[in-house]
Amino acid sequence: MSSVSFVKIQKNTVASTRRAIGEALNLVDYSFKKEIRNVVIKPNLCYYWDYSTGQTTDPRFVQALIDLLREKIVPNPNISIVEADASAMKCRHAFKFLGYEKLAKNNVKLVNLSEDRSDPVAVRVGRHIAELRVPRTIRDADLRINVPKIKYIPGQIKITCALKNIFGCNPYPKKIRLHPQLEVAIVATNKAMRFELCIVDGNIVSGVQPRRLGLVMASEDSVAIDTAAARIAGLNSNLRYLRIASHEGIGNMSFVPKGEPLEYFKARYPQQSSKDKLLGIAYKMVVHMRLGKRLGLE
Amino acid sequence: MKKVRLGIIGLGYVGKIHLSHALKLENAQVIGVADISRRALSDARKQGVKKTFSDYEQLLKEPDFDAVIIGLPTHLHRDCAIRAFEAGKDVFLEKPIARNVKEAKEIATAARESSAKLMVGYPQRFNPIFCELKRKINCCELGDVEIADATYVSSGPFFHRAVDQAPSPVPEWWFDKESTGGGALMDLGCHLINLLRWYFGEVADIRSHLGYRYNIDLEDHAICIVQFEHGTTAIMNVGWFSQVFQLKVDLLGSVANASAEHRPENHLVTAAKMFTLGNSRFLYPHLAELHYFSDCVIKGVKPSPSGEDGLKDLEAIDLAYKNTIDLRV
Repeated sequence: MSSVSFVKIQKNTVASTRRAIGEALNLVDYSFKKEIRNVVIKPNLCYYWDYSTGQTTDPRFVQALIDLLREKIVPNPNISIVEADASAMKCRHAFKFLGYEKLAKNNVKLVNLSEDRSDPVAVRVGRHIAELRVPRTIRDADLRINVPKIKYIPGQIKITCALKNIFGCNPYPKKIRLHPQLEVAIVATNKAMRFELCIVDGNIVSGVQPRRLGLVMASEDSVAIDTAAARIAGLNSNLRYLRIASHEGIGNMSFVPKGEPLEYFKARYPQQSSKDKLLGIAYKMVVHMRLGKRLGLE
Repeated sequence: MKKVRLGIIGLGYVGKIHLSHALKLENAQVIGVADISRRALSDARKQGVKKTFSDYEQLLKEPDFDAVIIGLPTHLHRDCAIRAFEAGKDVFLEKPIARNVKEAKEIATAARESSAKLMVGYPQRFNPIFCELKRKINCCELGDVEIADATYVSSGPFFHRAVDQAPSPVPEWWFDKESTGGGALMDLGCHLINLLRWYFGEVADIRSHLGYRYNIDLEDHAICIVQFEHGTTAIMNVGWFSQVFQLKVDLLGSVANASAEHRPENHLVTAAKMFTLGNSRFLYPHLAELHYFSDCVIKGVKPSPSGEDGLKDLEAIDLAYKNTIDLRV
């Protein structure tokens, strides 16, 4: 069974975050191999929302991770911070607006996966076969680290964390074309691009509103991380995409918690009230009936 | 009842807003639209617009139009407005009037020389809550307004960054100073400058602090201190950084104080109002300004805010850019 660690960031500083990441990795008995030279870090950059919204990985969290990598591996590993263009987001703007350009020094580079060379792969998920492309930067890395956020999103998959963040590595910008089969596409992408380590930036999380949770989660198992994230968000963690991912051998839905109790963070997560849920249903009905379009609201 | 025959040039974000409102006017009729996007033109046809043009020059050549609404990116305002005046059309021009004072002067001069009507689109001038503040100032209900505090923050060009908004790409020209002439101070500040000038007269001096939270080449927020010739001092806060829309004016007078805040309604309330009344309180100023413009065209009256107003707003903003105070440590 996989381990998932839960560690509280003591102070909102890079140094304190680095200590929390280190402790989270120790708790799951993870140690970096000394021979690693090429590291890929995949933060979650979502449109141009900055870290304060809880929607995107804080560049200071990534800075703390880079500091730790330099301490634990070699002083100057080749680090690629990767993201791909999306329907409404251009990487070059996102890297700039969200403060990632400041990290691009001393062997750290920013890679737009949509402009990277990539190879086609066909991935089977159940009876579906997904045709994807794997960027070379991800393929050639010695270590791939996923640094997602915890976000509750009403709709198909309900929780965005480790597995969904890797879906963002698909170099094709119009990922919305994959959304009708989103659960299958997420699992297929994670099969095509295996990330060895997941460290969740749960400092500020996004629920019905953003909130500072001060959490670092770590695991080598993305499915276990997402199961834990769903529980923290107050959801039934028996989500379909997690079941498919587990069935496809990406990870386990059961895990051994380490560190702070999960309940501590669950109690502080900004969950929906009953009123919010009702309003959400009513709003979805408005959207479903295309009332917004008919009335000129969209 | 005579109806103004309108053309709409530019069907981007604001152009679509103007189209949806223009189609509801009882004193105007949308005859045609122009845009380079085939999809936008197709959408307009579905809304009942008969004539569509991929080049605005073709629209301006048509004799069927009395007036045009220009909702193009700012760097295209001058050429399009001047071409419209040459074609004998009255013009409703989206704010800011131009990307710099020089171009604004050229537009205002061309309007004057052609004797065409030019109105700059400042919807908040038609917002009942801000009109009520104007009435209170005019009636001296507040005494002398010593201090005004005006705030306009929103997600700016990042519409999708706002709460509950679906993701949509941001056109590249928004991030190009050459195209916009400025950032949040230009985009949102011109609304506040225009409103405050309407209340207190001309600007005597202005100082600004510009902020760059998002590392864009343009300021994404600004604070200005404005001294008006008749004595009022105003503080103006603008920003593109907020997920929440806030447009608020506080007036502190020697007799009384007054405040007005324009805020979006809940989606469901908006939907209900759109369904029953055909418009919402939040969007009403956009409808009212077009109705007023069409009325001015029919009656042959010079509209306000005029081209000269747009020029003076831009002169004040230009001064603010020159008089910056750097507070960063």
